Amino acid sequence: MRKKGILFCLSLLLLSASLHAGGAKEVEGGEQPAAEQKAAIVEEEIVLAAPRDLTPGENFFHPASVICYIWEPLVSVDKDWNPVPKLAKSWKMSDNAMEWTFYLREDVTFHDGEKFNADAVMANFNRYQKTPGKSKFYSFSMKRFYPNFENIEKLSEYSVKLSFEKPMPTIVYYMTNFGSPMHSPKSFDADGNFTITPAGTGPFKLVEHVPDEYAVLERFANYYGPKAKAKRIKIKVIPDGNTRFAAMRSEEIMGVMDFGAMQPNLAKELIKDNRFSDSRAKNSIIHYIAPNGTKFPFNDLRIKQAVSLMIDRRMIADEFYAGYAVPASGILNYASPFYKKLPVEHNPEKAKKLASEVLGDKRVSIDLITPSAFIKKFPYKEQCEYVQAVLKDLGLDVEIKIMEWGALNEAMKTGNYGLCMRIQGLPHGEPLGIFSSFMGSEGGQNKSYSLGYKSEEVDTLLTRLDQTIDIEERTKIYNKLQEISARELPFIPFINDASLIVYNKKITDYKALIYGGTLPTLRWAE
Amino acid sequence: MEAGQYRLPIIMHHIKTGLYLGRKLLNLIPVLIGLSIISFLLGVIAPGDPAYFILSADGFTEPTDEEIHIMQQQLGLDKPIHIQYLRWLNRAARGDLGRSYMTGKAVSSEIIRRLPVTLKVSLLAVAFTIFIGISSGILMAAKSDKAYDRIGQIISLCLISIPGFWLAIFLISLFAERLRILPTCGYDSFKSILLPAFVLAAGTMGFTMRLTRASLLDELHKDYIITAHSKGLKYNIIVLKHAFRNSLIPVITLIGTYFGHILGGSVIVEVIFALPGIGQFVVDGIFARDYPVIQGYVLFTGTVFVLVNLSIDILYLLFNPKVRLEETT
Repeated sequence: MRKKGILFCLSLLLLSASLHAGGAKEVEGGEQPAAEQKAAIVEEEIVLAAPRDLTPGENFFHPASVICYIWEPLVSVDKDWNPVPKLAKSWKMSDNAMEWTFYLREDVTFHDGEKFNADAVMANFNRYQKTPGKSKFYSFSMKRFYPNFENIEKLSEYSVKLSFEKPMPTIVYYMTNFGSPMHSPKSFDADGNFTITPAGTGPFKLVEHVPDEYAVLERFANYYGPKAKAKRIKIKVIPDGNTRFAAMRSEEIMGVMDFGAMQPNLAKELIKDNRFSDSRAKNSIIHYIAPNGTKFPFNDLRIKQAVSLMIDRRMIADEFYAGYAVPASGILNYASPFYKKLPVEHNPEKAKKLASEVLGDKRVSIDLITPSAFIKKFPYKEQCEYVQAVLKDLGLDVEIKIMEWGALNEAMKTGNYGLCMRIQGLPHGEPLGIFSSFMGSEGGQNKSYSLGYKSEEVDTLLTRLDQTIDIEERTKIYNKLQEISARELPFIPFINDASLIVYNKKITDYKALIYGGTLPTLRWAE
Repeated sequence: MEAGQYRLPIIMHHIKTGLYLGRKLLNLIPVLIGLSIISFLLGVIAPGDPAYFILSADGFTEPTDEEIHIMQQQLGLDKPIHIQYLRWLNRAARGDLGRSYMTGKAVSSEIIRRLPVTLKVSLLAVAFTIFIGISSGILMAAKSDKAYDRIGQIISLCLISIPGFWLAIFLISLFAERLRILPTCGYDSFKSILLPAFVLAAGTMGFTMRLTRASLLDELHKDYIITAHSKGLKYNIIVLKHAFRNSLIPVITLIGTYFGHILGGSVIVEVIFALPGIGQFVVDGIFARDYPVIQGYVLFTGTVFVLVNLSIDILYLLFNPKVRLEETT
């Protein structure tokens, strides 16, 4: 009895010591006054969450995402992704489309007090040409965003002229958002590398940033346009979707932002609770299945068409994306200003017939690969399992392989796969890059994904685009290319994703845009 | 003369201890070189090119071969592998672990910046393991075959079996969503590391409970305890000075190894609780084939692991010198 009593006392002593150690640490840390200080700030601060750091900093070409509204481009987009003036108030194209004159706003200052003018634009273009365009959002290169660029010339204090070696009738589409970021020339050195936290011109300035933890944005008092409604916005980095969901429910965060910030099924679950609301818009992501067109059976168009016909896109949109997304059938995402709506066909009988023409009674084993990074963001596990189930009826035995990026890209490059489920985004409104990369015989993605697509008609149309200045004529060619893509399936598109925002009703005027949300109008509801 | 006779065994003991520790420290060198070679080769052999990852970090862009080639040159990846390795080793020997290909930041400063997060969570996890695990184990031994013991065994089994991510979600749901007494995630205060530390500790806590119980029960039935009883030694002295101390050897091994392991960061816990620790840093580095990050991490955690093991050996010497010095002789 005595023995057990001693053991019992000893264990109690250890337990109390552990609890005391924990409690003591909090007091010693002097966190009480700090917490009070924080509470005072939090009263005015709106806390949002994103799955990644949206302000990765000065080591990247884009030190922050455009959706943080810290920096602004020369050319922005409207809700249909058409180019609209931002820091450039207007522009003029020469008759041969080889010269573009941009007229700049005259009432803009950077967050560091520097004046925005033609010299600032010249300095930024100098930076574009010198610095490696490493970006967490859209990798930048002059070749990609300013094809055939020749030079930039200052015409006056508030106008510049861009010259090109070939006609560039759609350059303003390339220049939207990530294509023409403007930062204070004081923020970078002669080599174009940022030396301090880059200053932009946006309605918010970055006042605090802890990498991979949070960023604090503060209203820029000298903003030339309507001032941001919220005084301070804190964007916390919460990589896990379930944790973001829990943080919403516990009201630690008031809303989410960025691609895949809230999975559709979780969003639906949240808005069942009257405290929350949602907002959606088109976004620039298309989900697709890339077939390995260099090998049997996907080197036969009929089997690609069979796979496409077998997929019930409406069901996927309704069930896996909770009705937020839209079925896709053409190569171009529905957010593009050149998007053409094409019929979406789901016809299992026709699919089986086409498959039997190619496979006969033979069953073929194929790998369906997908990147592990997307499993957390999108319902890819469910989609892969669905595809695996329906392709059985075609005689295709699918093995799902979830791979990390390195292995996946290697498998695609070497043609060591059957199908791959992944996404494609649009860096800007000009779709030429998408068409030529996926459909051109020498296209980058056509080759590196082993799509094996070749069409003389497409190559001719792409060459014609080089000489077509008239936008209406170009639109006709883009429409033709979309029709061909839906018929000949260089890849099999199935879902146009939606930009989805979920927020607590304690905040208001927070609406989804093609990319991001209306951060400047966001405010407390009361 | 007599004093010399007494001193000789003590001197011999110190020499043995010194030799033992010296040998352990010398072992560090080949272990670290081996680690660096393995980590370097693993990075190189694994499919994927860092230049490609940098240029396609946005997930949308497909770089051209020319762009990839230029980036390879900028990173020095066009040099033969052994040259790349020797260059890195040369810099690492001077404390420079290089710069991350992806972020451009110094790897050593990133590790130093993130280390306090991982260290705090790890230390608290070990504190949970030691205090809750051991004390519950003692209680279970004290109430052996009683209700408390049985409940303790069930709890320990649950702690061992429940997957970390599930436990994390459950605890967040309970303490953050419903009770609202702890934050769901982040790294703001001591409160914010309580849940991650508990999740991190759970499995090992369960093992420690069971191990302490079994070990203490085993010791309490040994002959020397019976002898001590028969000599009239007080029971609490027997337990505290002899049985409990001897029963700790396997527990120290378990907790020590566990501590070395979690100091490398726990990806699941860091991702779920949004902690900017070392684990998340290196996983991002692995996915992006960010060689300097991978190599710096392996070198750092390898050193920590070896040092922790050395500390465990020193603790062995303190608790039971016979255990290891006999191996030395």
